[in-house]
Amino acid sequence: MFVRKISLLALFTTLSLAVYAIESAVPPLVPIPGLKLGLANIVTLVLLRHFTARDALLVLSARILLCALLFGQALSLLYSLAGGLFSLLVMALVIKLLREHMLFLTGAMGGLSHNMGQFLIAWILTAGGVLPYLPFLVLSGILTGLFTGLCAGFLGKYLSSFLKK
Amino acid sequence: MKQHLGYKRATALIAALLIILCAVSLLWILYPEGRNHPGQYAADIFQNGTLIMSIPLTEDNASESFLVEGENGCVNEISIRSGSIGVISADCPDQLCVRQGFIRDSRLPVVCLPNRLVIQLRPLSDTAGDNALPDAVAY
Repeated sequence: MFVRKISLLALFTTLSLAVYAIESAVPPLVPIPGLKLGLANIVTLVLLRHFTARDALLVLSARILLCALLFGQALSLLYSLAGGLFSLLVMALVIKLLREHMLFLTGAMGGLSHNMGQFLIAWILTAGGVLPYLPFLVLSGILTGLFTGLCAGFLGKYLSSFLKK
Repeated sequence: MKQHLGYKRATALIAALLIILCAVSLLWILYPEGRNHPGQYAADIFQNGTLIMSIPLTEDNASESFLVEGENGCVNEISIRSGSIGVISADCPDQLCVRQGFIRDSRLPVVCLPNRLVIQLRPLSDTAGDNALPDAVAY
């Protein structure tokens, strides 16, 4: 069981890394910093739903550190950490509150809090200069979060038999 | 106690919160009250939150460009064309500040996060530096 879990978590880390790499290769559609789909969040949601918050934290931090090492600059590590950890915290609370029902709501809260965490860092670094972007970030966080939440919900249906064994 | 609260209630609460946030953001985007003054503007260029340059933008500005260097070696090339300002090249990987194009009103600033650079327009009638934290004061 232990070996199986390690392999599965490693697999999920690789998966989220690959998804992140593919997503960052697509040029941004809207010229607003921080706007993207956040597909790697699907992996975090699946882990929260079918494993534990601790496992999700492990995979998330591994992904963020590896991403910073592979594609990032020093500053993007700070943004990713703030967004990722804050959204994981919020999603872990919300998924408990909802008893794992309505995964898309958890996803939306996660997307929202991810963007809010990043916004907070940008706000501090630019001394408030990014405030006009706040409504765009709130909206996009919720919408992309709904999308990743739905994806994670569907994925969970197909994965559940495979993960339970 | 928590068991009694029920997930249905939590669901409704969270859904309501999200819908309200969406509505507020939409209103904020659609009605940028007080952020879109007609008339002429001056461009304030902030780095790390401090005002480093202030340039009045008038229609008869000759087009000119200059470089702004950040402390960690990032360089943005800023260009002024009649009444508008924008970043034309940057050495950061995402090039978002370049893609934001030229701005001619105070709705959205041009932002380069790697270089911690913000270009914000303010009406010429306001004094320089007033605008450093406009919304933090107003809201």
